[in-house]
Amino acid sequence: MPRGDKWSDRYAGPVVRPYALTGGRTAPARGEVLDLIAIVATTEPAERENDSIDLTPEDRRILGLCLKPVTVTDIASATALPLGVIRVLLADLIARDRIGVLQQRPPGGQPSADLLKEVLHGLRTL
Amino acid sequence: MGSARSDAPGNSSDDGLLAAFKIVIAGGFGAGKTTLVGAVSEVRPLRTEETLSSGSIATDDLGGVGNKTTTTVAMDFGRITLNDHLVLYLFGTPGQERFWFMWDELSYGALGAVVLADTRRLDDCFPSVDYFEKCQLPFIVAINCFDGAPRYDPRDVRVALDLDLVVPVVACDARERESVKQVLITLVEHVLASRPAPAGRKAATGTYGAAPAAGTYPLASAPGLERPIPARVDRRPAPA
Repeated sequence: MPRGDKWSDRYAGPVVRPYALTGGRTAPARGEVLDLIAIVATTEPAERENDSIDLTPEDRRILGLCLKPVTVTDIASATALPLGVIRVLLADLIARDRIGVLQQRPPGGQPSADLLKEVLHGLRTL
Repeated sequence: MGSARSDAPGNSSDDGLLAAFKIVIAGGFGAGKTTLVGAVSEVRPLRTEETLSSGSIATDDLGGVGNKTTTTVAMDFGRITLNDHLVLYLFGTPGQERFWFMWDELSYGALGAVVLADTRRLDDCFPSVDYFEKCQLPFIVAINCFDGAPRYDPRDVRVALDLDLVVPVVACDARERESVKQVLITLVEHVLASRPAPAGRKAATGTYGAAPAAGTYPLASAPGLERPIPARVDRRPAPA
């Protein structure tokens, strides 16, 4: 909030309550709940982007972000929508085959030693 | 679940994001989690407002959940791009105890955790230490050196927290990028060291991280066995 206590523009918050965007659903219709760092991407390049009238502005926004692989967290952060909302919307888009999951989470919880060394190297050279 | 371009998450190269890792930043209220995340994150520490449940919703799968209200949790997260296909996410745990269930989500599949300790309130990090021991997530303890706070030898802190000998304890300044970097490096080194040695490249299936190497995590090898908490509470360091 800026000083002056005026609730205007983005400080006024969203116009609709977050879960109005999901039709009130708080959990994905089906499928696994996406991990925070699950990576998703559009299944096809951009040409289908505007072909459908059943896409909401949020859907289009998400599809735009998914043109290259992106994490669920980054989508939530870029759209400023609650994570729960993003998960429902993403699940819908996955069910409609607009996007696919590239990586749900590190398989088995532990990445390979090679990847870990790469992380280490990346951190050292930051 | 439909998979799009790449079917092999483990293999590198390719376009855009390939591997994302998360590290959990835990610690008591005011230990400096937000500061630490902010010190290394390439984005401002963002807060994801998470609406847990909404009372205005008439779906029927919420049965059994009593007086539910809309609750909002702010969650700190930071992002570090390591190279063109590696991204590291830092997630700060919510401080309030009633959001403990979120810890499971944050910790699941995480690389490891940093427990940030404030020597003025060392007992604040007992729950974090207990949690990560219980779920066998590799963690380190980073002592945030607040101005004016008593300085303790990391060895004393280790004793006070009744930590396993393999758990690294380091001092840091959560405001300093270099210092935080060092903390993260220590954690990843610890994660590497605590991998089951010969099982090298075989990815563990099922529960988190397979069996630890013998002697690495005595506690973890007997999951039902917990350390008596009173001992931990009693053995706090005397002020220097």
